[in-house]
Amino acid sequence: MSPTRRGFLGEMARAAVGVGLVPDPVSAKSPGEGPVRHKWGMVIDLDRCTGCQACAVACRAENNIPVAGLVDTEKGRGIFWMNLLTTSEGTYPDLRQQFLPAPCNHCEDPPCTKVCPVGATSQSEEGIVQQIPDRCIGCRLCEVSCPYTRRYFNWTEPDWPEELREQLNPDVSVRPHGVIEKCLFCHHRIRSVKERVRAEGRTLTDADVRRLPACAESCPAEAIVFGDLNDPRSEVSQLAESPRAFRLLEELGTHPKVIYLREAKWRE
Amino acid sequence: MAGIAVAMSVPHDDERDLLRHLPLTGSGFWLSVTVLAIGTSALFYGFALQTLYGHAVTGQGSHGAIWGIVVANIVNFIGVSHVGIAISAVVRLLRLKRYQQLARLAEFITLAAITTAVTNIGMDVGRPERFIQNVLWYGRYTAPFVWSCTVITTYVCGSSVYLYLAMRRDLWVCETKVPSRRWFYGLLALGYRDTPASRARHNRVVWWLAVVILPIMVSVHSVYGYIFGLQPGRPGWYNPFQAPYFVLGAIVSGFSTVIVSLAVLRKTMRWEQFFPPRIFKGLGIFLGFVTLLYMYFLFSEYLTGTYAAPEGERVVFHDVLFGRFAIVTWSAMLGGMLLPFGLLFLQGVNHRIVSIPLTVIAALLINAGLWTIRTVVVVPTFYHPLLPWDVAPYTPALAEWCIVFGSFFFFALLLLVLIKMFPVLELPEAEEDERVAVRAPRMPLWKLAAVAGSAVAGVALIATGVGNRLQPEFFHPPVIWLSGIILLLSVPFLICVLPERLRPPVFRVPSVGPRPVASHPANAGRCLASASHRLVLKAPLHAIPGKRLRPFQ
Repeated sequence: MSPTRRGFLGEMARAAVGVGLVPDPVSAKSPGEGPVRHKWGMVIDLDRCTGCQACAVACRAENNIPVAGLVDTEKGRGIFWMNLLTTSEGTYPDLRQQFLPAPCNHCEDPPCTKVCPVGATSQSEEGIVQQIPDRCIGCRLCEVSCPYTRRYFNWTEPDWPEELREQLNPDVSVRPHGVIEKCLFCHHRIRSVKERVRAEGRTLTDADVRRLPACAESCPAEAIVFGDLNDPRSEVSQLAESPRAFRLLEELGTHPKVIYLREAKWRE
Repeated sequence: MAGIAVAMSVPHDDERDLLRHLPLTGSGFWLSVTVLAIGTSALFYGFALQTLYGHAVTGQGSHGAIWGIVVANIVNFIGVSHVGIAISAVVRLLRLKRYQQLARLAEFITLAAITTAVTNIGMDVGRPERFIQNVLWYGRYTAPFVWSCTVITTYVCGSSVYLYLAMRRDLWVCETKVPSRRWFYGLLALGYRDTPASRARHNRVVWWLAVVILPIMVSVHSVYGYIFGLQPGRPGWYNPFQAPYFVLGAIVSGFSTVIVSLAVLRKTMRWEQFFPPRIFKGLGIFLGFVTLLYMYFLFSEYLTGTYAAPEGERVVFHDVLFGRFAIVTWSAMLGGMLLPFGLLFLQGVNHRIVSIPLTVIAALLINAGLWTIRTVVVVPTFYHPLLPWDVAPYTPALAEWCIVFGSFFFFALLLLVLIKMFPVLELPEAEEDERVAVRAPRMPLWKLAAVAGSAVAGVALIATGVGNRLQPEFFHPPVIWLSGIILLLSVPFLICVLPERLRPPVFRVPSVGPRPVASHPANAGRCLASASHRLVLKAPLHAIPGKRLRPFQ
């Protein structure tokens, strides 16, 4: 195509303002470029869940979540990376309770990372919405922006009873007062299993990660499955295609990577 | 010496009145300082509680109100800060002579309020020790908080330059008129020379600065609107209307604060002659008008929220209007808006009513009403998260009340300090009409180069910062673009402050009668050098004829 004056002027104008319009390298990358990365996701089968809260307890122990105490918990200051959202259907005596284990949804388009002023929270290349406590300034904008209320502020210095202090996990750092923390899909476990697999000279399989996070490992009903959503043969990918599958607040367009299964419709 | 005495004009009665507020005397002053300092200590007491025992001393919680009344207070003070420069810029641009004396007080209110607001932000965040550093160093361009940091810095720098240049001549006058603080004002005047050309240059630069500052000021409060309005996960907030709504709210609360502060200062500083009741009436009419506009905005919002909104929105607005916040909302709307609007309307339509107390009462009510409405904007959404979590009810705790009330004292203390330090009222210029006739001379080449260099460097830095916004860990773009903005805002400062010549002209004191041998500067130096070992200098150095002297000293 021969250069036209209009085209040339347009180019010049673009060059003049172009300094402010560098394309976003993340969005500019076309799909399929480079090696296929993992995209970690979780499927929680609500029809299997018994509401035993083993997942929540295991999560606390694994991730050194401090004990808030009675008063602070009542004031809504307890920290629960994994929490059971309990709702009731019907009225007594035809009362039915539904339980929904709720970790962070690790949204594909997370509202929380966008509002963080200091980059303390961001999305990893494997889709995990991560948090850097040392960077966080505690403005709580991410907590405010999360439509699922899955982020927690440390309202006090972390504290544990003496006996619990003995079992703190050395793989997970303890977060100080004044910063945000959240579920990280037990990324320290993902890292260690990757190292183990590499040492054994093989590739990561679905069986290696299926019960990897503490919540999935502890679930007696095996309601929680973890895996790679980019691998079409993984159990999570197949379960995500189930007609029972739904995501929380799908209408917001955040594209959560935690998928729930339920025969009956979930009612919020 | 005689010449010096003649050159110094004798203080005019009017000027004496205008500068009467400067000396730090009077029991009233010290009493107010004491009271305000005690009140301010509440602010720091609340902050200390938070630092020592954690944010758990507040009433907030993750499954509760994540933000509380301190955030409402921040919005309030940002709003108040909004109006000072607005008044000043509008007075200058529209040449509203009647309100001219109000301009600088309004600018001081801006500076005091924005300092209070930023202090409040620092006290509300979880890690105050690293919040400014991290935002500047690692700031992400997508975050409203970074926008806010950018616009606030621009606003503070812009308004400081504006305030300084508009005040520079008065500082120079104070250098001679307030002997007790002569060194202070001499330092601040930065070698100002009161020539018609210099006055013309200052006026022109300040006029352009006023033009530039108005949109910056709108951006400051818009960003606060965006902090709330861009949250799709928060029913009651997600609204494109938020930015203009916040700007309007800022104008309302800012104006009412200006009225209240002005009334207090008028009484305590005995400024009755400069601020006749008519001024209050004029301000009251405008305040009434913007309050009416705000009520209209509120009505629109509440109608949209309750009429047929999505369920999430509707429960929030229902709660605000008829639920647990109903008492707060309605008392703020009726007592804090409708009633004061009625008072101001009555005064506005009836030419016989010109009452300062009435205007002040209305302004106080509006201030309280707006503050309350802001808590009703911030808090209710937390009671209705989109998922049915249990929510702990929010009751503001002692630490938060301390911070909120302490902020008002802190604001008043800062304002008092500013008023006592600087001339608040504009001092009259002797040759008022000269302004039109005299044009500022062309700048010499070196000065032009310095000014243009700053402008180009500023723009280049801003472009570099914005262009590298995607590599915040490596380039630290906010620091780069903020340096650019500061450099760009230094341009008006440089235009006025850099001298016209590298070597200032020598002003000699006119002497009468035969000139002594040492009257010529070169001769004086020569004589002194040769005779120094024999001379004991009795007279002070500046009394030697021919010594370089600044005009009229």
